[in-house]
Amino acid sequence: MSMILLHTMQWFLLVSAGICVIRLLLGPTSADRLVALNILSGVTLAFLVVRGVWEKRVLYLDVALVYDIFGFLGFLAIARFLKDRMSDGEEQ
Amino acid sequence: MTILLLTLIILLAVFALFSSDLLHGVVAMSAISLSCAILFYILEAPDVAITEAAVGAGVSTVIFVWALRHSQRKEDRHE
Repeated sequence: MSMILLHTMQWFLLVSAGICVIRLLLGPTSADRLVALNILSGVTLAFLVVRGVWEKRVLYLDVALVYDIFGFLGFLAIARFLKDRMSDGEEQ
Repeated sequence: MTILLLTLIILLAVFALFSSDLLHGVVAMSAISLSCAILFYILEAPDVAITEAAVGAGVSTVIFVWALRHSQRKEDRHE
């Protein structure tokens, strides 16, 4: 039963990632795309953990840990760049 | 599952190629490396996925944005 639930959850999270990608492609402003990327990161983190529990291997959880640490640096850089550009008044 | 991820990667790559704003391309590149990390993970290569997550999603995004901060736009926006 739990295997069926975990498998359903993987598909659910992948479809959610697809919806986030649609918002990332269509979003009119840069802030929309940044928020979409952040939500995509959260969905990916949940997917990695669910898949790691499904495979019953501890090594798979390390990928989620490393991604969460290093992905945060990327969002921090993009958000800081966006703040500088919005304060310059170039963004509409 | 693999086909869905490959479709997402192709869509994001086409958007990164044809987007006019460079920051949107950087965001799309970050999402591409994210999807690639999931793909390596599904294909049972977790060590490759660790490297892709650390280098692709983290460090390369920081380097791209860092280069973007030190560049400036010379062209007109409306043409």
